[in-house]
Amino acid sequence: MRSTPVSILFVVVAILCFVIAALYAFGVLQIFVTDPHAAHHYTHTILFVVLAVASLIAANFTRPKTV
Amino acid sequence: MSFVQALFMGLLQGATELFPVSSLGHAVLLPSLLHWSFKQSDPSFVPFLVLLHLGTATALLILYRAQWVAIVRGFFTAAFRGSITSDSERLAMLLMTGTLPAAVLGVFLENRIKSLFASPYEAAVFLVVNGFLMLGAELLRRRAERRAKLQDRPREEQEERFTDAAHISFVAAALVGACQALAFLPGISRSGVTIGGGLLAGLRHEEAARFSFLLATPVILAAGLLEVPNLFSSSVPLPEYAASAVLAGIAAYASARFLLRYFRSGRLDPYGWYCIAAGLLSLALLTFNL
Repeated sequence: MRSTPVSILFVVVAILCFVIAALYAFGVLQIFVTDPHAAHHYTHTILFVVLAVASLIAANFTRPKTV
Repeated sequence: MSFVQALFMGLLQGATELFPVSSLGHAVLLPSLLHWSFKQSDPSFVPFLVLLHLGTATALLILYRAQWVAIVRGFFTAAFRGSITSDSERLAMLLMTGTLPAAVLGVFLENRIKSLFASPYEAAVFLVVNGFLMLGAELLRRRAERRAKLQDRPREEQEERFTDAAHISFVAAALVGACQALAFLPGISRSGVTIGGGLLAGLRHEEAARFSFLLATPVILAAGLLEVPNLFSSSVPLPEYAASAVLAGIAAYASARFLLRYFRSGRLDPYGWYCIAAGLLSLALLTFNL
Protein backbone atom coordinates (compact mmCIF):
# COMPACT_ATOMS: atom_id res chain seq x y z
CA MET A 1 0.00 0.00 0.00
CA ARG A 2 1.76 3.16 -1.20
CA SER A 3 0.31 6.34 0.22
CA THR A 4 1.79 9.64 1.40
CA PRO A 5 -0.36 9.88 4.60
CA VAL A 6 0.63 6.33 5.66
CA SER A 7 4.26 7.14 4.97
CA ILE A 8 4.04 10.34 7.06
CA LEU A 9 2.36 8.35 9.84
CA PHE A 10 5.31 5.96 9.94
CA VAL A 11 7.74 8.92 10.11
CA VAL A 12 5.77 10.34 13.06
CA VAL A 13 5.90 6.91 14.76
CA ALA A 14 9.66 6.82 14.13
CA ILE A 15 10.14 10.24 15.73
CA LEU A 16 8.04 9.17 18.74
CA CYS A 17 10.13 6.02 19.10
CA PHE A 18 13.36 8.04 19.01
CA VAL A 19 11.98 10.37 21.72
CA ILE A 20 10.92 7.41 23.89
CA ALA A 21 14.36 5.83 23.35
CA ALA A 22 16.03 9.03 24.55
CA LEU A 23 13.74 9.20 27.60
CA TYR A 24 14.63 5.63 28.56
CA ALA A 25 18.33 6.31 27.96
CA PHE A 26 18.31 9.25 30.36
CA GLY A 27 16.18 7.42 32.91
CA VAL A 28 13.28 9.85 32.59
CA LEU A 29 10.84 7.12 31.60
CA GLN A 30 10.44 4.31 34.16
CA ILE A 31 7.46 2.46 32.71
CA PHE A 32 7.72 -1.36 32.31
CA VAL A 33 11.28 -1.54 33.59
CA THR A 34 12.75 -4.33 35.73
CA ASP A 35 14.71 -2.00 38.02
CA PRO A 36 12.97 1.38 38.52
CA HIS A 37 16.01 2.72 40.40
CA ALA A 38 18.44 2.28 37.46
CA ALA A 39 19.71 5.51 35.92
CA HIS A 40 19.58 4.20 32.34
CA HIS A 41 17.51 1.55 30.60
CA TYR A 42 19.68 0.58 27.67
CA THR A 43 17.64 -2.49 26.63
CA HIS A 44 14.53 -0.33 26.26
CA THR A 45 16.56 2.35 24.49
CA ILE A 46 17.92 -0.15 21.95
CA LEU A 47 14.42 -1.58 21.42
CA PHE A 48 12.90 1.82 20.65
CA VAL A 49 15.79 2.80 18.36
CA VAL A 50 15.20 -0.47 16.46
CA LEU A 51 11.46 0.27 16.31
CA ALA A 52 12.22 3.78 15.03
CA VAL A 53 14.48 2.43 12.29
CA ALA A 54 11.82 -0.17 11.37
CA SER A 55 9.23 2.62 11.14
CA LEU A 56 11.51 4.61 8.82
CA ILE A 57 11.93 1.52 6.63
CA ALA A 58 8.14 1.09 6.59
CA ALA A 59 7.80 4.78 5.66
CA ASN A 60 10.19 4.26 2.75
CA PHE A 61 8.18 1.22 1.61
CA THR A 62 4.86 3.06 1.73
CA ARG A 63 6.16 6.27 0.12
CA PRO A 64 4.77 6.70 -3.42
CA LYS A 65 7.62 6.31 -5.91
CA THR A 66 8.06 9.08 -8.48
CA VAL A 67 9.77 6.88 -11.09
CA MET B 1 27.61 -25.73 39.87
CA SER B 2 30.39 -28.24 39.24
CA PHE B 3 32.28 -28.42 35.94
CA VAL B 4 30.51 -31.65 34.93
CA GLN B 5 27.12 -30.14 35.75
CA ALA B 6 28.01 -27.05 33.69
CA LEU B 7 28.99 -29.24 30.73
CA PHE B 8 25.78 -31.24 31.07
CA MET B 9 23.69 -28.06 31.17
CA GLY B 10 25.53 -26.76 28.10
CA LEU B 11 24.84 -29.95 26.18
CA LEU B 12 21.21 -29.94 27.32
CA GLN B 13 20.63 -26.30 26.43
CA GLY B 14 22.27 -26.58 23.02
CA ALA B 15 20.33 -29.70 22.10
CA THR B 16 16.95 -28.63 23.43
CA GLU B 17 17.06 -24.99 22.24
CA LEU B 18 16.34 -26.04 18.66
CA PHE B 19 14.43 -29.27 19.25
CA PRO B 20 10.78 -28.38 19.82
CA VAL B 21 10.86 -29.59 23.42
CA SER B 22 11.65 -26.38 25.40
CA SER B 23 15.20 -25.75 26.57
CA LEU B 24 13.99 -23.56 29.43
CA GLY B 25 11.57 -26.24 30.58
CA HIS B 26 14.33 -28.85 30.61
CA ALA B 27 16.75 -26.43 32.31
CA VAL B 28 14.20 -25.88 35.08
CA LEU B 29 13.06 -29.50 35.37
CA LEU B 30 16.19 -31.64 35.09
CA PRO B 31 18.32 -30.05 37.87
CA SER B 32 15.31 -30.33 40.16
CA LEU B 33 14.67 -33.97 39.21
CA LEU B 34 18.37 -34.82 39.62
CA HIS B 35 18.36 -33.07 43.03
CA TRP B 36 21.20 -30.77 41.99
CA SER B 37 21.78 -28.12 44.59
CA PHE B 38 22.65 -25.12 42.42
CA LYS B 39 20.05 -22.39 42.27
CA GLN B 40 19.02 -20.77 39.00
CA SER B 41 18.38 -17.54 40.91
CA ASP B 42 22.12 -17.42 41.70
CA PRO B 43 23.77 -14.26 40.21
CA SER B 44 26.35 -16.40 38.36
CA PHE B 45 23.63 -18.39 36.55
CA VAL B 46 22.64 -15.48 34.26
CA PRO B 47 26.16 -15.15 32.75
CA PHE B 48 26.15 -18.92 32.30
CA LEU B 49 22.91 -18.78 30.30
CA VAL B 50 24.28 -15.80 28.35
CA LEU B 51 27.28 -17.80 27.18
CA LEU B 52 25.14 -20.82 26.31
CA HIS B 53 22.88 -18.60 24.21
CA LEU B 54 25.86 -17.05 22.47
CA GLY B 55 27.14 -20.56 21.72
CA THR B 56 23.78 -21.56 20.23
CA ALA B 57 23.46 -18.35 18.22
CA THR B 58 27.01 -18.78 16.87
CA ALA B 59 26.14 -22.32 15.75
CA LEU B 60 23.08 -21.02 13.90
CA LEU B 61 25.09 -18.22 12.29
CA ILE B 62 27.68 -20.77 11.08
CA LEU B 63 24.99 -23.14 9.81
CA TYR B 64 23.23 -20.41 7.82
CA ARG B 65 26.28 -18.23 7.10
CA ALA B 66 25.64 -17.96 3.35
CA GLN B 67 21.95 -17.26 3.89
CA TRP B 68 22.66 -14.63 6.53
CA VAL B 69 25.02 -12.81 4.17
CA ALA B 70 22.24 -12.78 1.54
CA ILE B 71 19.63 -11.78 4.15
CA VAL B 72 21.68 -8.87 5.55
CA ARG B 73 22.53 -7.67 2.04
CA GLY B 74 18.88 -8.06 1.02
CA PHE B 75 17.74 -6.18 4.10
CA PHE B 76 19.83 -3.09 3.41
CA THR B 77 19.12 -3.14 -0.32
CA ALA B 78 15.35 -3.40 0.17
CA ALA B 79 15.30 -0.92 3.07
CA PHE B 80 17.07 1.81 1.07
CA ARG B 81 15.25 1.08 -2.18
CA GLY B 82 11.83 0.84 -0.52
CA SER B 83 10.75 -2.20 -2.49
CA ILE B 84 11.35 -5.94 -2.64
CA THR B 85 12.66 -7.59 -5.79
CA SER B 86 14.15 -10.92 -4.66
CA ASP B 87 13.43 -13.83 -2.31
CA SER B 88 16.33 -12.96 -0.01
CA GLU B 89 15.07 -9.37 0.31
CA ARG B 90 11.58 -10.62 1.10
CA LEU B 91 12.94 -13.13 3.63
CA ALA B 92 14.97 -10.35 5.29
CA MET B 93 11.87 -8.19 5.67
CA LEU B 94 9.80 -11.16 6.89
CA LEU B 95 12.45 -11.89 9.53
CA MET B 96 12.42 -8.25 10.63
CA THR B 97 8.61 -8.34 10.81
CA GLY B 98 8.74 -11.54 12.85
CA THR B 99 11.51 -10.38 15.15
CA LEU B 100 9.98 -7.03 16.19
CA PRO B 101 6.94 -8.43 18.08
CA ALA B 102 9.19 -10.95 19.82
CA ALA B 103 11.63 -8.17 20.79
CA VAL B 104 8.88 -5.89 22.13
CA LEU B 105 7.22 -8.68 24.11
CA GLY B 106 10.62 -9.92 25.29
CA VAL B 107 11.77 -6.57 26.66
CA PHE B 108 8.48 -5.80 28.40
CA LEU B 109 7.25 -9.20 29.52
CA GLU B 110 10.05 -11.80 29.65
CA ASN B 111 11.34 -11.19 33.19
CA ARG B 112 7.84 -10.79 34.64
CA ILE B 113 6.56 -14.00 33.07
CA LYS B 114 9.68 -16.02 33.89
CA SER B 115 9.57 -14.93 37.53
CA LEU B 116 5.88 -15.85 37.74
CA PHE B 117 6.27 -19.35 36.34
CA ALA B 118 9.73 -20.50 37.42
CA SER B 119 8.87 -23.62 39.43
CA PRO B 120 9.49 -27.16 38.14
CA TYR B 121 5.76 -28.01 38.55
CA GLU B 122 4.74 -25.21 36.22
CA ALA B 123 7.48 -26.19 33.76
CA ALA B 124 6.13 -29.76 33.72
CA VAL B 125 2.55 -28.56 33.15
CA PHE B 126 3.62 -26.24 30.34
CA LEU B 127 5.66 -29.07 28.79
CA VAL B 128 2.42 -31.06 28.51
CA VAL B 129 0.71 -27.97 27.04
CA ASN B 130 3.60 -27.65 24.56
CA GLY B 131 3.01 -31.24 23.47
CA PHE B 132 -0.66 -30.59 22.84
CA LEU B 133 0.15 -27.39 20.92
CA MET B 134 2.39 -29.35 18.54
CA LEU B 135 -0.12 -32.17 18.12
CA GLY B 136 -2.78 -29.52 17.46
CA ALA B 137 -0.63 -27.86 14.79
CA GLU B 138 -0.12 -31.23 13.08
CA LEU B 139 -3.84 -31.99 13.33
CA LEU B 140 -4.65 -28.75 11.53
CA ARG B 141 -1.92 -29.48 8.98
CA ARG B 142 -3.38 -32.92 8.25
CA ARG B 143 -6.77 -31.26 7.79
CA ALA B 144 -5.20 -28.89 5.24
CA GLU B 145 -3.64 -31.89 3.47
CA ARG B 146 -7.04 -33.63 3.35
CA ARG B 147 -8.64 -30.48 1.93
CA ALA B 148 -5.98 -30.48 -0.80
CA LYS B 149 -6.63 -34.23 -1.32
CA LEU B 150 -3.03 -35.08 -0.45
CA GLN B 151 -3.65 -37.62 2.32
CA ASP B 152 -2.85 -40.67 0.15
CA ARG B 153 0.25 -39.18 -1.48
CA PRO B 154 3.82 -39.88 -0.34
CA ARG B 155 5.10 -37.48 2.34
CA GLU B 156 7.60 -35.77 0.02
CA GLU B 157 4.82 -35.07 -2.47
CA GLN B 158 2.56 -33.75 0.30
CA GLU B 159 5.29 -31.37 1.42
CA GLU B 160 5.94 -30.07 -2.09
CA ARG B 161 2.43 -28.62 -2.21
CA PHE B 162 3.24 -26.19 0.58
CA THR B 163 5.31 -23.05 0.34
CA ASP B 164 8.78 -21.88 1.40
CA ALA B 165 9.81 -19.34 4.02
CA ALA B 166 10.20 -16.38 1.64
CA HIS B 167 6.59 -16.62 0.46
CA ILE B 168 4.45 -16.40 3.58
CA SER B 169 2.52 -13.20 4.26
CA PHE B 170 3.90 -10.43 6.47
CA VAL B 171 0.96 -10.83 8.85
CA ALA B 172 1.79 -14.54 9.19
CA ALA B 173 5.46 -13.68 9.84
CA ALA B 174 4.47 -11.21 12.57
CA LEU B 175 2.14 -13.77 14.18
CA VAL B 176 4.78 -16.53 14.05
CA GLY B 177 7.29 -14.08 15.56
CA ALA B 178 4.86 -13.07 18.30
CA CYS B 179 4.36 -16.78 19.10
CA GLN B 180 7.94 -16.74 20.39
CA ALA B 181 6.66 -14.83 23.43
CA LEU B 182 4.88 -18.02 24.53
CA ALA B 183 8.35 -19.52 25.05
CA PHE B 184 8.89 -17.20 28.04
CA LEU B 185 6.80 -19.79 29.83
CA PRO B 186 9.19 -22.57 30.88
CA GLY B 187 8.01 -25.72 29.12
CA ILE B 188 6.76 -23.98 25.98
CA SER B 189 9.27 -24.39 23.17
CA ARG B 190 10.26 -21.42 21.03
CA SER B 191 11.04 -23.62 18.04
CA GLY B 192 7.93 -25.72 18.70
CA VAL B 193 5.53 -22.78 18.57
CA THR B 194 7.29 -21.12 15.64
CA ILE B 195 7.47 -24.35 13.61
CA GLY B 196 3.81 -24.99 14.48
CA GLY B 197 2.95 -21.41 13.51
CA GLY B 198 4.90 -21.80 10.28
CA LEU B 199 2.93 -24.95 9.44
CA LEU B 200 -0.34 -23.08 10.01
CA ALA B 201 0.97 -20.32 7.72
CA GLY B 202 1.35 -22.93 4.99
CA LEU B 203 5.07 -23.63 5.14
CA ARG B 204 6.63 -27.01 4.40
CA HIS B 205 7.94 -28.69 7.56
CA GLU B 206 11.58 -28.18 6.57
CA GLU B 207 10.91 -24.54 5.67
CA ALA B 208 9.01 -23.98 8.92
CA ALA B 209 12.07 -25.29 10.79
CA ARG B 210 14.42 -23.11 8.71
CA PHE B 211 12.23 -20.03 9.30
CA SER B 212 12.11 -20.86 13.01
CA PHE B 213 15.91 -21.15 13.25
CA LEU B 214 16.47 -17.96 11.25
CA LEU B 215 13.91 -16.15 13.40
CA ALA B 216 15.53 -17.42 16.59
CA THR B 217 19.05 -16.27 15.69
CA PRO B 218 18.68 -12.48 16.17
CA VAL B 219 16.56 -12.95 19.30
CA ILE B 220 18.98 -15.40 20.94
CA LEU B 221 21.99 -13.34 19.86
CA ALA B 222 20.52 -10.05 21.10
CA ALA B 223 19.44 -11.60 24.41
CA GLY B 224 22.98 -12.93 24.85
CA LEU B 225 24.80 -9.76 23.80
CA LEU B 226 22.69 -7.52 26.05
CA GLU B 227 23.79 -9.55 29.07
CA VAL B 228 27.50 -9.65 28.13
CA PRO B 229 28.44 -7.05 30.84
CA ASN B 230 27.32 -9.63 33.44
CA LEU B 231 30.18 -11.88 32.31
CA PHE B 232 32.80 -9.58 33.76
CA SER B 233 31.82 -10.18 37.35
CA SER B 234 34.65 -11.65 39.43
CA SER B 235 32.53 -14.56 40.68
CA VAL B 236 32.04 -16.01 37.18
CA PRO B 237 34.22 -19.07 36.36
CA LEU B 238 34.63 -17.97 32.75
CA PRO B 239 36.74 -20.90 31.36
CA GLU B 240 34.25 -23.51 32.65
CA TYR B 241 31.30 -21.56 31.31
CA ALA B 242 33.05 -21.01 27.97
CA ALA B 243 33.64 -24.77 27.62
CA SER B 244 29.92 -25.34 28.26
CA ALA B 245 29.06 -22.70 25.66
CA VAL B 246 31.23 -24.45 23.06
CA LEU B 247 29.47 -27.73 23.87
CA ALA B 248 26.10 -25.95 23.59
CA GLY B 249 27.12 -24.61 20.18
CA ILE B 250 28.20 -28.04 18.92
CA ALA B 251 24.98 -29.62 20.22
CA ALA B 252 22.89 -26.85 18.63
CA TYR B 253 24.67 -27.24 15.27
CA ALA B 254 24.15 -31.02 15.28
CA SER B 255 20.51 -30.60 16.38
CA ALA B 256 19.77 -28.12 13.61
CA ARG B 257 21.35 -30.37 10.97
CA PHE B 258 19.39 -33.35 12.25
CA LEU B 259 16.09 -31.47 12.44
CA LEU B 260 16.39 -29.99 8.95
CA ARG B 261 16.93 -33.48 7.56
CA TYR B 262 14.18 -34.96 9.75
CA PHE B 263 11.59 -32.39 8.68
CA ARG B 264 12.00 -33.20 5.00
CA SER B 265 9.39 -35.88 5.63
CA GLY B 266 8.95 -35.97 9.42
CA ARG B 267 6.28 -34.32 11.52
CA LEU B 268 6.04 -32.68 14.94
CA ASP B 269 4.02 -35.53 16.46
CA PRO B 270 6.91 -37.49 18.07
CA TYR B 271 8.09 -34.34 19.86
CA GLY B 272 4.52 -33.58 20.91
CA TRP B 273 4.10 -37.05 22.44
CA TYR B 274 7.56 -36.79 24.03
CA CYS B 275 6.63 -33.48 25.70
CA ILE B 276 3.36 -34.88 27.03
CA ALA B 277 5.10 -38.02 28.37
CA ALA B 278 8.07 -36.09 29.82
CA GLY B 279 5.77 -33.50 31.40
CA LEU B 280 3.50 -36.12 33.00
CA LEU B 281 6.48 -38.20 34.19
CA SER B 282 8.11 -35.09 35.68
CA LEU B 283 4.87 -34.16 37.44
CA ALA B 284 4.69 -37.66 38.93
CA LEU B 285 8.35 -37.60 40.03
CA LEU B 286 8.00 -34.14 41.55
CA THR B 287 4.72 -34.96 43.28
CA PHE B 288 6.06 -38.16 44.88
CA ASN B 289 9.50 -36.53 45.45
CA LEU B 290 11.37 -39.42 43.80
